[in-house]
Formats: sequence, C-alpha cells, structure tokens
Amino acid sequence: MSRIYLGELEELVLLMVALLNDEAYGVTITKELETQANREISISAAHAVLHRLEEKGFVKSKMGGASDERGGRRKRLFKITAYGRQTLEDLQNTRNTIWSLIPKPSAS
Amino acid sequence: MKHESPPRWFDSLLDKLAPPSLAEEIKGDLYEIFCDDLSKKGITRSKLNYIFNGLGFLTKSFFWKKRQSSHVNNTIMLNSYFKMARRSLHAYRSNTVINILGLVIGIASALVIFSVIRYELSFDSFHSNADKIYRLVRVSGTNMAILESSECRTGVSFPVPNALREESSKLAKVTSVLYNGDALIEVPDKSGAIIRRFQENSTALVEPSFFSIFDFKNTNFKWFEGNAKTALEKPFSIVLTKSASAKYFPDGNPMGMTLKIDKRFDCTVTGIIEDFPSNCDFPFTVLVSYSTLPVVNSRMMTDWYSVDDSNYTFVVPAPGFTVDEVQKDIARVHASHTPKDLHESRYYLLQSLSDMHFDPRFGTFNGRTITRQTLLALGIIALFLLLTGSINYINLATAQSTMRSKEIGLRKVMGSNRKNLMIQFLTETFLVVLMAGVFALGLSELLLFRFQALLNIKPETFYFADPVVLMALSLIIIFVTLFAGIYPSLLISKFNPVTALKNRFTTETVGGFSLRKVLVVAQFTITQMLVIGTFVVIAQMNFFQTTEIGFVHDAIINISVPERNPVKRETMSQQLKSQSFVSDVSFSFSLPGGVNRNRSYQDIARTDAKAREDIKVFEFHSIDPSFLDLYKIKLLAGRNFTHLDSAPYILINKSLMNNLQLGSPEAAIGTSLIKNEEKYMVIGVIDDFYSNSLKSSVDNIGMVMDPNAFRKVSIKLALHDNSSLPDAIEQIRKIWTATYPDYIFDYQFLDENIKAFYEQEQKYAQLFQLFSFTFLLIGCLGLFGLITFVINRKGKEIAVRKVLGASVSGLLFMFSKEYVKLILISFVLAMPVTYYVVNNWLSNFSHHIELKWWLFVSPGFIVLLIAISVVCAKSIGAANRNPVDSLKCE
Repeated sequence: MSRIYLGELEELVLLMVALLNDEAYGVTITKELETQANREISISAAHAVLHRLEEKGFVKSKMGGASDERGGRRKRLFKITAYGRQTLEDLQNTRNTIWSLIPKPSAS
Repeated sequence: MKHESPPRWFDSLLDKLAPPSLAEEIKGDLYEIFCDDLSKKGITRSKLNYIFNGLGFLTKSFFWKKRQSSHVNNTIMLNSYFKMARRSLHAYRSNTVINILGLVIGIASALVIFSVIRYELSFDSFHSNADKIYRLVRVSGTNMAILESSECRTGVSFPVPNALREESSKLAKVTSVLYNGDALIEVPDKSGAIIRRFQENSTALVEPSFFSIFDFKNTNFKWFEGNAKTALEKPFSIVLTKSASAKYFPDGNPMGMTLKIDKRFDCTVTGIIEDFPSNCDFPFTVLVSYSTLPVVNSRMMTDWYSVDDSNYTFVVPAPGFTVDEVQKDIARVHASHTPKDLHESRYYLLQSLSDMHFDPRFGTFNGRTITRQTLLALGIIALFLLLTGSINYINLATAQSTMRSKEIGLRKVMGSNRKNLMIQFLTETFLVVLMAGVFALGLSELLLFRFQALLNIKPETFYFADPVVLMALSLIIIFVTLFAGIYPSLLISKFNPVTALKNRFTTETVGGFSLRKVLVVAQFTITQMLVIGTFVVIAQMNFFQTTEIGFVHDAIINISVPERNPVKRETMSQQLKSQSFVSDVSFSFSLPGGVNRNRSYQDIARTDAKAREDIKVFEFHSIDPSFLDLYKIKLLAGRNFTHLDSAPYILINKSLMNNLQLGSPEAAIGTSLIKNEEKYMVIGVIDDFYSNSLKSSVDNIGMVMDPNAFRKVSIKLALHDNSSLPDAIEQIRKIWTATYPDYIFDYQFLDENIKAFYEQEQKYAQLFQLFSFTFLLIGCLGLFGLITFVINRKGKEIAVRKVLGASVSGLLFMFSKEYVKLILISFVLAMPVTYYVVNNWLSNFSHHIELKWWLFVSPGFIVLLIAISVVCAKSIGAANRNPVDSLKCE
C-alpha cells in the first residue's frame, strides 16, 4: 500500500467533510469538530487544512449560493471525493487489523 | 437588536490582500462567526474576534499563494480587451482607416529617416581602432584664430608623411592615400595587345600601412589573394577589389597579370580583396602601391610647397599623447623643413576619423559629407511626422469618445473600473499602431528603394530581418501607442457613468475640443513651415537655373582630347564641322563652367608688382579663336585671338582687370602682365561669367592661346528636333573614335555639367517637396476625419438650419470658418520661424533671391485652399442632403 500523507488534523477534518455531506464549509466544520471531537481550531486553520486536502485530491469544492446570514456572500462547499473516502476506509481497516492483533490485557 | 457590522476597514484590508477568489468565502465565514459571536458575546468581543480570526488567515501560506485560477482570469480579460478593440475598430471603420493611414505614412517616413541617419552615422566606424585614427588636414590663413577666414583643405604635401614617420615620436602610424581621378586601365593579353579598356575614377595609391590602420574589422572584408603586408610594397603593384577583378579578368586568375594604366605604367596584380563597404569614404576599386609615386615623379616627393588635395594622410597617435601635443609636434617637423612664410601660414591639424564624414569644410574622397545638424534636422522631422500622425489619432479618438459615451457608461455600470477602461483603450490604440507599423515596415522598404538616389544611400540588403530596424519599429510603436493613446484613454475613462448614459456630452463639452484646436494648429504650423520652405528652395533653384551666367551652355557637347597631335585635332575639327548638325567646334584647355572641368590656377601680376599681395591668382584657360564665339562670351574691349597670333597674348576678365587695378577695359589693352616669369600682353578684356556656381562670386580669369594645353573639344549642336540627338551623338562618337582609337569615348552635355553644381540643393528641393507633401497629406487626413465626425454629429442641426432657410453656401461657410481660423493662426505662428530659417539658408549663397512677401503668402494660401477643399468636399454632401432624411427618424 502506498503511503498516504494524511495528518491527524487533516484526517479529522476529512471525516467532518464526509459527515457534513452537503453542508461542509469553513464555519460548519469548525463547529462540528468542536461538538464531535471537542477540538477547537481557528477558522483560518480550517481553511488551510481544507486547501491542503483539496490539493491532495481528497475533497473537491464549488461555490455555493449566497445567503443573508453571510452578508450576501457565497460559501465554498466541500465534498469528499471517492479517493478521499477510499483513503479513510483504508486507514480504518489498517487500524482495525492492528487492533485485532493487539493482545487484550487479561481480565483477571 | 440594533444592526451591527464587522469593522469595515478590516474587510477592505482583506479585499486588498486576499486573492479575489478567496476574499468572498473568507469574509463570508468570518461574518458568519461574527453573527454567531454577536448573539453570545458583546459587540466589542465579536469585533475583536473578527479581526483576530481574520489575522489568522494572514499567517497561512495558502492565503498568499498565487492561484492558478487568477491567471486564467487575466488571460480571459486580455482576450476580451483584444476582442472588444477589434469590434470597436470595426464599428468605426472609416476612422480606423484614417488613423492607420496617417500613422503608416508617419511611421514609414520615420523608419526611412531612421535608416538614413543610421547609414550616415555608420560611415567609417567599422575599423577596430576607429576612434584613434585621425586625418591630417591643412588649414591655411594668417590668423588661425578666425577659422572661418582660413582655407580648409585636405591635401598634404608629399614629403610631409615621410618626414613625420621619421622625425615624430608621437605618431604610432602614418599612411598616405592619393586618390587618383580619371585613369585609363587597359588589359593586355599575353602578346601585349589590348583586349579590354576601361575608364576608371576609382583608382588610388595606398601604402601597405593603409590596411594596418584601416582593418575593416566589423565588415566581411578579407583578402582573397595576396596579403596586406606585402601586396602593396613594391612599385607598380596593384590590388583589385573582387568586382574590379571580375571586370578586368572575367576568366582566369588575375594574380600576376599585368594592367596598363594611362598607357604608360605596367602594373602587376598582387592581391584581390573584398569590395569596400558602401558606407566607407574610400570609393576605391583599384589600389596601386604608393611606392610607385617616387619612381614616376621623384621631384614631387621633395616639394613642400605644392599640395594635391587628393593626397590624404592618416595618422594614429602614439599611446598617451593628446591631439594637441601631436599637432605641436607636427608643426615642429613642418617648421624644420620649410621657410617661415610657409609654416606661418599653413598648418597641419588632426581631424578625428569620426568627424570626417560630417565636416563639410574639408570633404572626402566620396565627395559627400553630411553635417550632424542635417542629421539632427532629419531626426526632428521624423519625430514631427510621428507626432502629427499621433495627433490625428488623438483628435479622432477624443472626438469619437462622445459617440462611445453610452458604451463607456454601460461598461462602468457593469463593473468595469477605470484601469480596465484605460487598458481597453490603450489596447485599441496598440492594435491600430501595430497594424500601421506592419504596413509601414513594408512601405518604408519600398520608399528606401524608390528614393535611393535622392537619399544618397545604398541599402545593402532588405531590412525586414534587421534586428535594429525591428527594435526601432517596436520602440516607435510603443512610443506612439503611449503618446497617442494615453490622453484619450484618460479622458474616456473619466466619464461619469450617469452623464455618459444620458448621452449629454456634445463635442464641445468634452474637454478635448480646445486641445484638439491646439493640436490642429500645431500640425498645420509644421506643415506650413515645410511648404513655405519648399517654395523658397524651389524659387532659389529656379533662380540658379534661369540667371544669366555670362555664357551659353545649351546644346553643347564636351569631349576630352586625349592626345596633343595638332594634325589629328584639325582633321577631327574639319570632319565635325562638315556634319550638318554641328554649328561650331572649339578646342580649349577647360570649359567656361561646370563641375567636371579642368581647373588650373596660376599667379599673375603687373610688371611693377612688389609685395605678395599684388600677385593675384586666376583660373587659367587656354582657348582657340572660336571659343569666345561658341560660348558667346562678351568682349568688352580689344580683340579676340586669331590663328595668326603667336606672341604671348592674354585675355583677362573684368574682375581680374579690377583686381589688378588696370582701370577701364580700354585702358587695360596693351598692358603687360607677368605670368610664370613670362610677359603676356593684354589684347582684350572679356565680361565676367560664372565659372563656378552662383553660390559663389565670379573668379579672376585669364585666357591664353596655347594649343599644347588643349584638352577638351566643345561642339555646338544645331539640331532642329531632339529626336535626331542620338544619331548626332553616334556620328560624333564615330568621328572621335576614328581619331583616337586607343581611348574611350565619353561625352558630357555642358548644361548638365553646370546643373551638377546644384545637385545638393536639387536634393533639398525634392526632399522638401516630399516632406511637405507628407505632412499635408497627414494633416488633411486628420482634418477629413474630424469634419466627417462633426458632420455626423450635426446632421440634425444642419437639417433644422436648412428647414429654417439656411443656404448651402451658408452651411459650408459655417463648417469651414472654424478651420480657416485655425489654419490662419498656424500660418501666423509658422511665419517668423520659417523666415529666420530660410533667410539663414539663403545667406549661404552669394547670389540669392529676395524674400518677397508672396513667397510666404502663396504657400499659406495653398495650404488653406487644400484644407478648405477637404472640409467642403466632405460637408457639401451633408449640406445638400434633404433635411427630411435626417429629421424623419426618432
């Protein structure tokens, strides 16, 4: 398996994009991270990670419609790509395999 | 809840810093958080948070990264600029054509002038140490402080170079070059019989050191045969240029072959060289070794007095010595060999090689110099041509802008900013100028070939591929684009969109109109100046050609007499006279006038002369008794020569008589004069005639009858019509060739020979005509464009006026009065400048026309007439149109 360059924060954000499905953009992702993983990151950091993910091809983006709550400005909506999803699954599988191999501490 | 908004200054900061594609989403996200904060925390905290979060972006690298997408955006805009430019140029086709035409003419002329200037400046600059080469020039005069009163010449006495070589340590190299005028070159075959014969005026005597000073480094000069060091060492060696050798020896190797020069000297070919480049002041094709000279004429080599003005000396000072030091050293050497009266009135000075082509006081072998002022004037004319083309563009573009105000308004409403609009209009200008530039390149090439003779240049190859020309063209394009484009684009982009959309601009309210007036005046001022100049130059030329010069010069053919045999001469004379078309024949040493004649100057004095000032110099003539009759030279007193005269008699002209203070013509008869230590008796006084051009005054002339000195035969033709001229010349050729079978027949018409005096002025006249025509053309093109525009705009006004009873002539008057005013102003401006320049030019000639008022007014009137006819030609259609047509719509 080729090596996947996916940092810990990147993985989390990617997971959030997958979770939020059609509503993933800067603000929702920071909020979701806070509620789900109890991680507080700044909005700029979220943007930076999203850009990196897009460069690596894990997510794709398009400009969404304008809404009043944003002062008429459009938002960039992110969507996980098939490659991104595959990568997440691979990571999960690897972990599962490893976990299954780790001997469980005996109950006694 | 009171409406709160994030700090606006921070938003605009983000707008400035962020790439446009990111600013929107970033500000959107920040705003969302701000709203969120606002509901939980206080306004201050929210604002602080907004700023803090925003600043966070500035620390991220993606924020600063250049995005690919923004590039795409730029090229899209660029494409759009070009597309829009193309469309609007297409929409205003007639204006585009006028603009391009004006610019093509302007740019093409500027390119031609550029090539001329470049060609002239390139003269003699291709030697590797060109800046260290000096020419020795001779300045004679008693007071060196007044250079104007001194005689500036190029000739150096023959012993001088050798003496300098041996006695001056301050000169590194010295070389002499003697340019030989006419030479007869004959090619003998092995048995010695002449197989080919050529009359050449491009032979020169050079030393081997010539090629060590002039190395022609930056040309493709090379030696095909022989070498620079040895080829010209021995006397009677000859080096040919490639083209000369091909001419003399079309088949076979010329090396070691013999050429006979002037029927006397057998020279051996010792080298073949590449032809000298055309931008070289050595027009040589046949180089004879200089060491031949002492063998042929050894007395000359020790004569410090006599000078031959075609004997040049070039020197290279030794390193470390200034021009001044070298000149002093040359004076020292000169003084040590010559008596006081010579070295105190004759000075040898150094002239830098780079000045040789540009100093008209001395001249060159080529016979052509061009002053740096002339080149500068040409450059200024080129600049003016570009300016006047650009002015057309500015005028039309600003006038047109009112028609485009809707477009501009709409563009602004749609979000175009000033920068975009300016780029848009500069792109349009650029396209126009670029197109003009491409056409101009082709046109200038054509012009260069067409006017080669007039411009006096020989373009080597065509120059499309010449990087310097292309560079000049690009510079011109950039300059014109900016000069012509900036003002209209500034003006147009300044429009307020609301006013522009309401279309409230009229031609007058756009600030450009007063500027347009100024520009039109400027254009026509330049034009008027040139047109007036043309009139004056042509009037002066006419004056030169129609003024009585004291002898007749039409229908006279001159041929040289190569041999002294009197029997041959007499036979030829009889044969010629028996022809029906010959009315008279005369033999003489020289001709009464013309560029191409034998000149000999001698000293003459009264028998009682004592001081040096009493000795006068006169131009020597030797004539036969029919000479005065043939040329209709008036005898004021005394008698002509007769065939029976054998005593030393002389005829003098009026100015020589006056200079020798002989009193009246009658009193002068019978006086004795001393010439060449011999006594001559004056038997007649002739009227003055202009042997030289009317640019200078009359010379002293003395005529003797010495058949030994006859070198020319003059034949007066009596032809009834010109068609028989070729037959007549053919007859003359037959008779001449039968008399002198070993020589080449070469004839010249005297009137053409005299015209040659004014060759330079003739060229000026032609150039002036060309330039003033060009300026007039460009100016009228611009006027045509402007008036077309005004008429289009004023269609309704014309109609209303007509309905109210205006006449066609009244309307025409209305249109033209504006331009008449402008052209009158330009005339007033052009007058004083032109008067000054023209007056200056005329003062070069000792005989010139008076500057009459009509010389100024008539060209001004002609320009006015042309301009008005352009205006009327265009407006007459509009004035005649049925008012219903323009009023019915809307």
